Amino acid sequence: MRLAVAGKGGSGKSFVAGTLARVLARQGRRVLVLDSDPMPGLGISLGMGPMADDMLAGAVERGEDDRWRLRKGIGAARAVQQFSATGPDGVRLLQFGKPDHDGLGPIMGSLNGFTQVVHRLARDGVLAGWTIIGDLPAGPRQTAYNWAPYAERFLVVVEPTWQSVLTGRRVSRLAAARGTAGVAVVVNKVRDAADVEFVGAEVGMAPLAAVPADPTVRDADRSGVAPIDAAPGAPAVVAVRDLADRLTEPAGTVAGPNSEGAAT
Amino acid sequence: MKIAVAGKGGSGKTTISGTLARLWARDGRDVLALDADTNPMLGITLGLGPEETDLVLGVRQGLDTGETEHAPSVDEMIETFGRDAPDDVRLVVASRIDQIDPG
Repeated sequence: MRLAVAGKGGSGKSFVAGTLARVLARQGRRVLVLDSDPMPGLGISLGMGPMADDMLAGAVERGEDDRWRLRKGIGAARAVQQFSATGPDGVRLLQFGKPDHDGLGPIMGSLNGFTQVVHRLARDGVLAGWTIIGDLPAGPRQTAYNWAPYAERFLVVVEPTWQSVLTGRRVSRLAAARGTAGVAVVVNKVRDAADVEFVGAEVGMAPLAAVPADPTVRDADRSGVAPIDAAPGAPAVVAVRDLADRLTEPAGTVAGPNSEGAAT
Repeated sequence: MKIAVAGKGGSGKTTISGTLARLWARDGRDVLALDADTNPMLGITLGLGPEETDLVLGVRQGLDTGETEHAPSVDEMIETFGRDAPDDVRLVVASRIDQIDPG
């Protein structure tokens, strides 16, 4: 299963991606998470400690044409093996890097390595059984510019506001336009059934899951702990567990949340 | 006075920007509200409503589709591509990502 998680800023992409990764890893899956956001966030949702700002720097070299390329012998699987960080439940994380006060300059090698690895993931036989989850930065840019070519399905995270709905609609359209991936909507920060109906009607598809508004997610962030570690039984975490079940059901049996589930 | 508003996604940049623009316009200032996000949502908090917000043309897309023949001045871009929001705030959207990059 290979997913990309997209949506508006603050909608809960990293929470969904990070928690989903942990849940699926606990079920015994090999999980690789891809962080292509230059800003911090996913590491906390996953419960990972500090990691290198230029994680893939060692995977690349500069060719005679001055372009970055993966070093000899390094393909997607090798890059994951050698350069990813390992987090709780054995989740592996690759990120292109986090810029410091000097901007993107110092992480250009890592960024190029990441891009090349990402474009080879789906074709790498060694990684065929892996679950891959990409956490994209806010807005439509990376969806429009094919930053998640591995994705079989885009999970578009939408909260029940117009700003989030318009973004979700645009991202869904862009993801579908390429014709290589399916699209599903996850409603987050849900207070009642009307929230789910609003998002479904305005984005134009029945939501695959509804995650309740849950202050424990924010509390976990403030404590610097992953929500699944801080409050494994919290309603939002339980809802992501349900989402994981829905995503791993055999094709064709996927259903939306019922209204009672949405209201809780 | 020229102000840029920045921060993490979902932190409230657009809410603060739109509300400041409306408040200053009500004080009698001429306010230009520039939406520099490629996912432009400032129209929502200015009070344009979701349908209108989704339709405001990006300057870049407007120029690309050849709505003007010459490189226009800043004033002309504001005039041609901008849109009036409540309290006479002038909204200009810089660029909107609406299509996949075929490359």
